[in-house]
Amino acid sequence: MKRIALAAFSTMAALVVLFLYPTSTGHSGTTAAAPVSAARVVTSTQPSTGTATSTGQGPDPATTTGSAPTGSAAASPTAAAPAAASTTVDGAAEMTRYGLVQVEVVITGGKITEVTALQYPNTDGRDVQINSRAIPKLRAQVIAAQSAKIDGVSGATFTSDGYVTSLQSALDAAGFKQ
Amino acid sequence: MFPDLAGRRRRRMTARLVVAAFFAGLALVVGLWLTGGGLRGFAGVGGPATEIGRLSGLVASYLLLIQVLLMARIPWLERIWGHDVLARQHRLVGFLSFDLMLVHIVAITLGYAAAANSGVLHEIWLLVTVYPGMLLATAGTAALVAVVVTSIRASRRRMRYESWHLIHLYAYLGVALALPHQLWTGGDFTASPVATVFWWGLWAATAAAVLLWRVVTPLVRSARHRIKVLAVVPEARGVVSIVMSGNRLDKLGLQAGQFCQWRFLGRPGWTRAHPFTVSAVPTRDRLRITIRATGDGTRSLTALKPGTTVVVEGPYGVMNADRREHRDVLLIAAGVGVTTMRGLAEAIIAEPPSNGPGGYRRPSVVLLHRIHSQPDTLFAAEFGHLAGVGDLRVHALPGRRSASSAWWGGSRRIDPGTELRRLAPDLDDREVYLCGPAAWMTQVQHTLREQGVPKTAVHAEEFSW
Repeated sequence: MKRIALAAFSTMAALVVLFLYPTSTGHSGTTAAAPVSAARVVTSTQPSTGTATSTGQGPDPATTTGSAPTGSAAASPTAAAPAAASTTVDGAAEMTRYGLVQVEVVITGGKITEVTALQYPNTDGRDVQINSRAIPKLRAQVIAAQSAKIDGVSGATFTSDGYVTSLQSALDAAGFKQ
Repeated sequence: MFPDLAGRRRRRMTARLVVAAFFAGLALVVGLWLTGGGLRGFAGVGGPATEIGRLSGLVASYLLLIQVLLMARIPWLERIWGHDVLARQHRLVGFLSFDLMLVHIVAITLGYAAAANSGVLHEIWLLVTVYPGMLLATAGTAALVAVVVTSIRASRRRMRYESWHLIHLYAYLGVALALPHQLWTGGDFTASPVATVFWWGLWAATAAAVLLWRVVTPLVRSARHRIKVLAVVPEARGVVSIVMSGNRLDKLGLQAGQFCQWRFLGRPGWTRAHPFTVSAVPTRDRLRITIRATGDGTRSLTALKPGTTVVVEGPYGVMNADRREHRDVLLIAAGVGVTTMRGLAEAIIAEPPSNGPGGYRRPSVVLLHRIHSQPDTLFAAEFGHLAGVGDLRVHALPGRRSASSAWWGGSRRIDPGTELRRLAPDLDDREVYLCGPAAWMTQVQHTLREQGVPKTAVHAEEFSW
């Protein structure tokens, strides 16, 4: 009985220590990426007084025009449908062990509306196989989470890491509040 | 009740279904490999190694769960194949899954190293420290290595059973610690809804089976039947019977010839489970096992106090009287193995008449008991009583072990086959049950084979696991 108690106790202790390590709760270990270039804001459009296209969002309270119609019904060409502020930022190009990963994020009206992977490993057949599946999933995760705090894609550890790090640098450069 | 034709049909069908399900799962796992890369993935740097690594990892994961299921004491599996066969399969599948796991580790390391153009040692370091869930998987591997190394026959023989069993329990931990990396680093089990449902389903079923049939069922049975030691009765030199009382023991489904894992609480050594066969047909409120004190474990059982609570796991074993094709039986036991035969004889004697060679009559039982000398006879009075009640003939085979008589014993030069035919001339019409040390049973089985008794008519169970 003493031996069983000792074994049980030391096993529990070992498990606690094991689970303290970051990879034991789903994260990847050391940062898998290193920045090769800095993030930069590419374009930044100010809120305008009217465009023909409506993004389908409600009136942006930040717009200076006050005559915004409620809802996003099709606006007449001369209606004062507001366009929200839109910022496009390229994240830092991150070097992962399989190659560079860099993303570009478009923030419109305080929301992440588009994420594009400008660079990712795609020379090797295996890279193509993994990343063609992973990149769209990462994009979807980011847009759903509206931040860089995503789960990542299983089996694409380094691409996910590079993607998240590059995205975070872009969001920081844009002053995005998550 | 003999003849249990419907039961046999049912068991045969269920057996086919179970085996089919196993192969279907295996096909699905290989399918996951094919759809996630498979043969296409062989192109590219590190491709072949990585793909072999993926396939071996997938199959190893599957077999890892299958071997846990084999030992989960699932009633349908126990009833069809019996504990002996399941334990043997568990061992085979276990070693196979371990070997595949080793292939997986080596192949993935080589494949990833080649793909990232890094050294093998550096790759090992990265794999263990960077990839999600991999530190846990490494710990799990260590646990499984310990389990496998101690389960090789050479090392197992040198260990006490308790030590071996304690280490073996770490297999559960090893299997569990492998799961996170299967989900977070290997994408195959989460690649599609089918894969996800299958993997989580199999995992959940395995965990549930272990919890239900290894933990909950014995506890519930204990509470429901309240089995307690009633008395410890000396039977012969170093042999005692432990009589137990309980409620509604007929609901246990325990038949003569079957065994249970018995735990006697409230004393040192209560964690140890002892496998013993019942030595009498259980009644609604009485159970009996008869044991020989061979080591400290069994010796302490001879001093059990009345009132001791008993937790029982089981019933296990397929040596029961129902599972036979012939009406008449030949029971051959050595030493304390006769306790099993005492129960079987009582059960078979009590069966109603049925058709068979010699017409419509009650079953005939011939019992051969191999002993060293007269004081080792057991249950003389009880067998005498049974012989008066039904068609039972008991023959003692006394004598020292000798090369001239093989398993029959005694210093005369005899041929066991001839002697056997003399005592049981209708050997071809009898179902044979054996109980004794493994080496001795092997000799008996050899003689039976020589005499033309088919393997299907011979039932032997050994307790040496």
